[in-house]
Amino acid sequence: MIIKSDSYERDTSFISAHHQPAIVMDLAISRGVDSHLLLRGTQLFLDDMLTGHKNISPAQFITMLSNCNQLLKADDTSFLFGQRILPGFYGPASQVLNHSLNLRQALIHLCDFHALLTPLMTPRYFENDSHFFVYWLDSCGAGQHRTLLAEAYTTAVVAMTNWLSQEKLPWRFNFTHAQPRYIEQYWVNLNEDVAFNQQLNMMSIPLEYLTKVWPKNAPIGLKMAELGSKIQLNELGFKQSFLDSLYEYLRQNIQHNLQLESVAEAFGMSPASLKRKLLKHNTHFQEQLDLARKHVALYLYQIKGFKHNEVADYLRFNDINNFRRAFKRWTGFPPGQLMLTSCF
Amino acid sequence: MQNKLNSAFTIKSCLAFLSIFGLYLYLATGDIKAWGIIKWLDVIAEAGTTILALFWLILLLRSRPAGRVTLLLSLGLCCFVFSWWMDFLDEFIKIPADVFWDNWLESLPIPAGLVLLTLGIFHWHKEELAISAQMAKRERVFREHRLFDGLIPLGGADYLREQVKMALKEANFLNQPFSLVAVDLNDFSHINHTYGHQEGDQVLQSITQLLLLNLREQDLLCRLAGDRFVAVLPNTSVSQAETIANELKLAIENLAYKTAKQGLRIHLKASAAVTAGVQEDANSLIKKLNTNLGAVKKRPVLV
Repeated sequence: MIIKSDSYERDTSFISAHHQPAIVMDLAISRGVDSHLLLRGTQLFLDDMLTGHKNISPAQFITMLSNCNQLLKADDTSFLFGQRILPGFYGPASQVLNHSLNLRQALIHLCDFHALLTPLMTPRYFENDSHFFVYWLDSCGAGQHRTLLAEAYTTAVVAMTNWLSQEKLPWRFNFTHAQPRYIEQYWVNLNEDVAFNQQLNMMSIPLEYLTKVWPKNAPIGLKMAELGSKIQLNELGFKQSFLDSLYEYLRQNIQHNLQLESVAEAFGMSPASLKRKLLKHNTHFQEQLDLARKHVALYLYQIKGFKHNEVADYLRFNDINNFRRAFKRWTGFPPGQLMLTSCF
Repeated sequence: MQNKLNSAFTIKSCLAFLSIFGLYLYLATGDIKAWGIIKWLDVIAEAGTTILALFWLILLLRSRPAGRVTLLLSLGLCCFVFSWWMDFLDEFIKIPADVFWDNWLESLPIPAGLVLLTLGIFHWHKEELAISAQMAKRERVFREHRLFDGLIPLGGADYLREQVKMALKEANFLNQPFSLVAVDLNDFSHINHTYGHQEGDQVLQSITQLLLLNLREQDLLCRLAGDRFVAVLPNTSVSQAETIANELKLAIENLAYKTAKQGLRIHLKASAAVTAGVQEDANSLIKKLNTNLGAVKKRPVLV
């Protein structure tokens, strides 16, 4: 069966210039940055941006953000941008967030409509018996700008959920990058519960906050907004990025023998095309496969409570030592040690 | 602004005119040297000094507001540029031995330039003292413009870290206590949501002025991040610091802040926390202060 590749890529122009890119421009201009410098390297012109119907690609948007970060020379650019983007003013998708009944609904909607709300990174969720987790995956090959995006989107969710719930929610944060020099930005914009050098860019919250009814909820408005958002996604013709589709396929088939050739066939393209597409997104097949296997292994260990040999069996490793070596390559730690430090 | 552009323009055009006039004089009286006898090492050295002096002049005119100090400094530099330019020209043009004024054109501007530059630097020194007085409570002992916050005229977190390090050493040396106070606005994001981010920036700028007014001469105020400010209080015990923290909180609550557009009153409230400057490293001290503030903010507010 061929997976229909209805997904967006790094160079698909679908992000409305007058939505989140306009927020970057406003931020930069309010700090005295020349808008031409901000658009350097994007092949965009200010006049295009202001027409109200210009679409830009993830690659162009990332370049804009990176320019903004460099030009402002401040430590809080990603956080300021994050504070301003959600729930936003992007039509029905923003209304969905505004009208959500509670935190759970809002987070699930955020994941469902992330192509409209957080196009540069993909939020995914899971839960155990005490906590709800949201983790972020690179959806367009952000490369060196991953830290910037993780900071921005994490701040966005915190600012939005605090605003809509009208209380300061006790989020906890994990980041994959090392602790930056400007740690105080995390304290002020997120909170003090931050850990670095972790396995995932992830935020978690105790389950009891998930079902508290939000003061701004509106069931009828929510229904209409959900419908509107679905129509919007249908018009775009996709709801996730190519890297998202690949990640999902890999996780669903993680127990099969996954090779570049067979995966390319499943996506209806030649191995060379798949390689090229991955290269365009600053990654390669083995990296994506390792990422999927790492995430499955961590999930089995920490949520399902599997033992070493059970995880190794699940991932079709014949030899437990091979599995230990592979796990160390994925995470930087041997399985036992990581369980002690507990990354969730 | 207009004035600044005009005076810079006048100075530059006078210099250009004089330089061309010098070139013309030399060409009129002297002969161009043969290619073989030009000393290229001298040419490079003299061209280099002229270009550098010109570079100083341009930086000066672009960065400084117009005024007496700028005028003196730039006229001084003009003398140098002119003298070195003439020096450069005589590498290419041979002036007959009976001409006496060519040496004047090269040598006279230097002492004149030195006098002008000295006068300029003297007044600049006075100006710096006046500016430093204005910067009181915003900087102590050392200045590092790269550590200053872009939005708010205060030092940022890096400046604070350096200052806390110094304060720790100083307190240890003098055997005095010192304290840190953190002040954080409550529900600052609501202001941004309700009145827009520009208004939020305005609030932060007003709060900065207010906090500065309420601090003592020896204190230092920095902006940690976002709406969180930290004051370094030298020679202050924790109980004194708590009094000051309370005063800062009250000052913010009593500020009748009005929005820029509609003139609506925004009621501001703040939380504050204090920590003693005990012998730890600066980073953990700032972290402890933040943890204290976090604990204060989590406490339920009794309305």
